[in-house]
Amino acid sequence: MANRRVLIKRRKAVRNIRKITRTMQLIATARFQAAFNRAVAARPYTERIAKLVSDLSGATGEVEHPLMRAREDVKRSALLVITSNRGLCGGYNANVLRTAVARLDESKAAGVETDVHMVGKKGINYFRFLRRPMAERITTIGDAPKFEQVEPIAAAMMDRFEGGQVGSVHVAYMRFISAGQQRPALIQLLPMVREVVKGGDGEPDAGAGEPATAYEFSPPPRELLDELLPATVRVRLFQCFVDAAVSEQIARMVAMKAATDAAGDMITSLTRRYNRARQTHITMELLDIVGGANAIA
Amino acid sequence: MAKSNTFRFSVITPERVVLECEATFVAFPAHDGEMGVLMNRAPLVCKLGIGGLRVESPQGDQTFFIDGGFAQVVENQLTVLTEQARPAAALDRGAAERAMVEARALRITDEKSAGARARALRRAQVQLRLTGATNR
Repeated sequence: MANRRVLIKRRKAVRNIRKITRTMQLIATARFQAAFNRAVAARPYTERIAKLVSDLSGATGEVEHPLMRAREDVKRSALLVITSNRGLCGGYNANVLRTAVARLDESKAAGVETDVHMVGKKGINYFRFLRRPMAERITTIGDAPKFEQVEPIAAAMMDRFEGGQVGSVHVAYMRFISAGQQRPALIQLLPMVREVVKGGDGEPDAGAGEPATAYEFSPPPRELLDELLPATVRVRLFQCFVDAAVSEQIARMVAMKAATDAAGDMITSLTRRYNRARQTHITMELLDIVGGANAIA
Repeated sequence: MAKSNTFRFSVITPERVVLECEATFVAFPAHDGEMGVLMNRAPLVCKLGIGGLRVESPQGDQTFFIDGGFAQVVENQLTVLTEQARPAAALDRGAAERAMVEARALRITDEKSAGARARALRRAQVQLRLTGATNR
């Protein structure tokens, strides 16, 4: 008796949860679409800037810039970790944080102190739980990162790097490869790697083989590069944020889909158990009646 | 091909492609003064300053507020890459005036802050001018 009522209650609860997770899945899908469109819209700028840099470095020959200088002597580095402000997105934050912690341990073993700049409430809570220090906590960047929000972060990083306070700046985030594949990634923001300057972001067809156009430069290429390289750093960081936003929504979508499916399975099995319990009860009552009738007869 | 005195013109920011059209003439704020581009201009890479960007196209004229960036001309295609591009119509006179007051209030302590103050002032000035131009 009691058992049946409990089963019904549980089934009702699971049904309600399924409704919620399904809604969250739909929301995540919509947000993913929006984030994905933003990521696509952000691409032309990145590509053009990369092309411009490779054109310019072709014109100047060997590029030398403070942002590219390796500083092995500075025993301090910075790590920017991009996590989400909200949970319920499966292993998204855990994966990024694992990459970040691995990097921290690694650099500690190498005798380099690392300042952690943590973006997202989830990462902040996790590091607080681990009692690891954080140099900076940023929670203002939501799932639609704006360039003017990212720009001050990039500027601060470049300042600290050029001032010699940190020897390198890395970013740990979830790289968006395709809708079906995202990977936690660690990239070196500063010092700028030569490949980034030469051929875009390691992506193919960065204008290789094309004859160089004879540009008129104003100001001279060297001064232009002084402006362009910081712009490249800014846009690379922005790209990280945009990527992370897309990946977060995908992770949430997948997690909520799994939760909805699991709830469905649970409802099926609960229904089955309920039906069986009911049938057992009916059978028992029938046996009672038949037994009673037989006794009288 | 009727009258082809136009060239392709696009304004691109890190967030999106703001404008993509055929233009007959574009004047943009270069780092050392305003520069105009007509069709068949020689290839150019130029640093931009703060200022108004004027586009004349068969569909009508447009003005944007530009804050730094780069312009590139190659094969009748002018691309403006900038971190901030706002249509002049979207500028707010009140906000520009406030920005002006704030810029004037900035303290100069070293070379860097002097540069920042000058840029903030210029930004406010240009915005004021652009809003004035559209209000008239």
